[in-house]
Amino acid sequence: MTPDRALSDFSVAASFVDGQVILALEGEVDIMSAPEFGAFFETMIDRGHRSVVLDLARLRFMDASGLAVIARGADRLEVTGGTLTIRTPIAMIGRMLAITGFARLVELEPGQSAYGHLGPEQVADRPPTRSYGMTKGITKFTSIHSGDELIDGALRMAVALAGAAVGGADGVSVSLRRRGVLTTVAATDGTISSMDANQYETGEGPCVDASTEGHWFHAESLERETRWPAFTPRARALGIQAILSSPLLVEEHPVGALNIYSLTPSAFSVRDQELAAAFAAQASSLLSDAEASLNDDDLSIRFQGALRTREVIAQAQGILMERDGLSENDAYGALRRFSLGNGRPLYERATHIVASTRRGPTDPDE
Amino acid sequence: MSDAPPDVLDLFRIDAALSHGDLWLRYFELGGMSTGLQLEAYLYGALRPSRHDHDIIAHALNERFVELGGNHPVPYADDEIGDEISDDVSPGPGPGPS
Repeated sequence: MTPDRALSDFSVAASFVDGQVILALEGEVDIMSAPEFGAFFETMIDRGHRSVVLDLARLRFMDASGLAVIARGADRLEVTGGTLTIRTPIAMIGRMLAITGFARLVELEPGQSAYGHLGPEQVADRPPTRSYGMTKGITKFTSIHSGDELIDGALRMAVALAGAAVGGADGVSVSLRRRGVLTTVAATDGTISSMDANQYETGEGPCVDASTEGHWFHAESLERETRWPAFTPRARALGIQAILSSPLLVEEHPVGALNIYSLTPSAFSVRDQELAAAFAAQASSLLSDAEASLNDDDLSIRFQGALRTREVIAQAQGILMERDGLSENDAYGALRRFSLGNGRPLYERATHIVASTRRGPTDPDE
Repeated sequence: MSDAPPDVLDLFRIDAALSHGDLWLRYFELGGMSTGLQLEAYLYGALRPSRHDHDIIAHALNERFVELGGNHPVPYADDEIGDEISDDVSPGPGPGPS
C-alpha cells in the first residue's frame, strides 16, 4: 500500500500456451489504465497472434473504457479470422459482459482461469472475489432508489461500446422520449448531440423516424438522401455522410433510438448493421427491465406496503422499549425471537403488540 | 474464522429465490437502513454489516424460507458465527474504492 497505488493498480502479463496468447489482467481497468491494456492487447494482435485469451480472474474492476478496448480487439480479431476468449471466474464481470452484449462478440468461459495453466498453487491462496464498481450501476435496476440516472449511465455505456465495436462509427448517441419529448441521453461528443438536436428541431431524420415508427432507418449516403429535406443539409454541414438509427423498444413500443453517425459515405457494413441492432436490442432490454421495476405501479404499491410494515414494527419496538425497559436492539431481538420460535412473520407479532396496546394495557402473551 | 464463503448470504438469497431488489424491500420492511448497494455489498461479503443489520438480513431470508415451507437456516449474529460479526454499527473494513 503505497500512496501512489491508485496510479499503478493495474498490470497485465502475457503467457503463450498451445498457440494461444493469454493476457492475464490484474487490478483495475479504468480510464487511467485502459490505454496500457489497449496498447498491450493491440501489440499482440499486431504481432500476428490470432487466438487471444483474456483472463480476468484477478481483475477487480473494469469500466466502459476497458470494455471499449475489448470491443476494439474483438473486432480486429474477427476481421482477421481470429478468436477472443474471455475467461472469468468473477460472476459480476461475466454478467456485465452478457448484459452489454459482449457474449455475442467473444467466447466466454466462466469459471476457468489461465492461472490453471501456470499452476493451481498460484490461485490457492486467493479465493474468488466479487467485483464492485460500474457493474453495480448497470445491474441495479431492481433497486427502489435508482432512477433515470442509472438508466442513463447504462445507456452511456451502450454508446461507448457501440462506438468502439461498430467499424464505421464516428459518433453514437441514444435518444429517448421522455414526457413526450425526444431527448439525447447519451452521446459520444457535442457534434453528435447537435446532430440529434437538429433532428428534434426539424422534426425529421432517421432518429426521429426510428423513435416514432419502431423500425430501423439507414441513410447510406446523405449526398443522395431525399427523405429528410430539412435535416439532411444540416447534417452534411457538420460533415456527416451516413447514419444508422435503430429503434429502442419497450414492450414492442418505440421509445427512442440508438443512432450511429459516420463521416464516410456507405460506412456501415452488414456486420456493423447487425452489431447496431444487437446493441439496440441490449439497450431496449435495459430499458424494459428499468421500466418493469421502476415505473410499475405495482412497485409503488409494494413500497407503500413495506413502509407501513416498517412503521408498525418500529411502533411495536417502541412499545416494548417503553413497557419492558429494553434497548432498541433488545426490543428488536425479542420480536425476532418470537417470530422465529413461532414460525410467524415478525410483522404479525408487531401488529399484535400495537393492537393490544390500543385495546388496553394488558397483553397476556407478554 | 468461519469456513463459510464470503458470499454466503448471497447464496442463501439465491436459494430463497429472491432478487436483490426483493430482498432489499423485505430488509427495508423489517427496519433495515442500508441502501440496496450496501445490502449487496453485505451479501457478497465486500462490506461487513453491523450485528443488527446482519440479523435483519438473516431474518428477512429466514421468513422467506418459512414462507417456502422450510425452516430458518440463516444464522443470526449471536449464533455460531457470532464472532464473525462486528459489534459496532460502523461499516466494516470492506475493500472500498481506492
